[in-house]
Amino acid sequence: MLAEAVGNACTASRNRWHNRPVHLDDVWLRYHRGTPWVLQAVNARVEPGDIVVVLGRNGAGKSTLLQLIAGVLRPTRGRVSDRPAVVGWVPERFPADQAGTVTGYLRAMAAVRGLRPAAAARAVDAWVQRLGLDAFRDVKLPELSKGTAQKVGLAQALLAPPDLLILDEPWEGLDAATRDLVPGIVLEVVARGGSVLVSDHRGETVRLPGAATWTVADGTLTTAAPDSGQRCVVEVAVEAADLAGAVARLREQGHHVLRVREEVGS
Amino acid sequence: MIALTRMRLHAFVRTGRAVAPLIAALAVLSILYGGGQAEAVEAYGVSALVAFPVLAWQTKILLDVEPDVQRRLARVALGSARREIAAGLLAAAVAGLAVIAVALVVPWLVGGVKTGTATETAGSILTGLGVHLLALGPAVALGALSCRAVTRSAGMGAAVLVTGAVLAIVLGLQGSPVPWLVPPLMATTRLATSGGTPLAATLLTAQALTWTALTTWLYSHLRHTRT
Repeated sequence: MLAEAVGNACTASRNRWHNRPVHLDDVWLRYHRGTPWVLQAVNARVEPGDIVVVLGRNGAGKSTLLQLIAGVLRPTRGRVSDRPAVVGWVPERFPADQAGTVTGYLRAMAAVRGLRPAAAARAVDAWVQRLGLDAFRDVKLPELSKGTAQKVGLAQALLAPPDLLILDEPWEGLDAATRDLVPGIVLEVVARGGSVLVSDHRGETVRLPGAATWTVADGTLTTAAPDSGQRCVVEVAVEAADLAGAVARLREQGHHVLRVREEVGS
Repeated sequence: MIALTRMRLHAFVRTGRAVAPLIAALAVLSILYGGGQAEAVEAYGVSALVAFPVLAWQTKILLDVEPDVQRRLARVALGSARREIAAGLLAAAVAGLAVIAVALVVPWLVGGVKTGTATETAGSILTGLGVHLLALGPAVALGALSCRAVTRSAGMGAAVLVTGAVLAIVLGLQGSPVPWLVPPLMATTRLATSGGTPLAATLLTAQALTWTALTTWLYSHLRHTRT
């Protein structure tokens, strides 16, 4: 059902593009002169309506690539062009060590995004409720747990409907209920004609079937078109003693085992 | 941009970081005005000089309050690196104006300056405002250059701040071979205490504005390349 929704959203968005593709033209980046290149000769484009999953091992440069596209970093060489007007960026770790409460912070960020007070209050209320932050409205940011702070990070990126949403490991630290919300949020952005880039090392992006895949390795970027086949995720509990056998049998049958976790029913 | 300026000022005050530079300003003003009464314009000339390092330090503190990732979030939210940088400088200037207001009022409250007619008092305060503003621009620019987003480390930040403040005074001393290299703090103090022509005041203003513009450009350039 989700896969069908993805397909519909992608088709709908491609019919009403209002943005231009974001271009990465021969982008190189290193943090300091004399240090190795983190990214080399990256050429890619993100079309409106695209969902792109960025993969790569730890330290491969996924976050760097996402920050280049978000406009946080400037390429050492090359350029990123045609970035849309409204960009939402969710960093890997939300910086909770700052002044203010959850709603105070979100309203201030809404104002920074140019929302008038009434519109800012509406947007903040909507996202606070949707992301389950109601109980934390007046809690100071440094007192939030990692997962709750991450929800605030997600909310600030969505206060103004983004044309380009960039999610750096968005599932990290989130509770199961909020993790389930992320694919829906991604689809909403895409349905409006926006595009979404998301990095992931937990295998959660299987929840975004139809997404293109970019792999960062050794400073270079390899792009792959969306997988046309639709897949579903089935969570199966097996006896611990039969774990290895069950995984082997599933793989023999051509299924993709994403991960194995010890606890169940969380 | 105004919303981000407000957000940064709010963080500066709410985290209590505004207290230390304010105490420092009050301390130097107490020392300055504790020894007896002086002519208001002369006193303001010296006050602007001693306020310079305090204003620069305050700028560094204000710009360093925000976590690095939050600064990047603000840049993305604004959609413009230039406006994000300008918002920080504007916040520092507003905070600096508050310290200047204290510096202008305190001597009258503690009887540190000789009183005159209302016209003379107004004239003195206006002149005092002018000489403090001549210090504010360069102080904000120097403080910005020493902030974490540029220097990347606390030690380097402190080194830039202290070296800049010391050089601004030492190279501005009478007989300096390169007084044009630094903001005209000492020259402004000399002008306020000894008097000078309108042309001299105009030239000092031009020098202060030029130094501020060049240093702000350097800060902006470094911020664009160091995120």
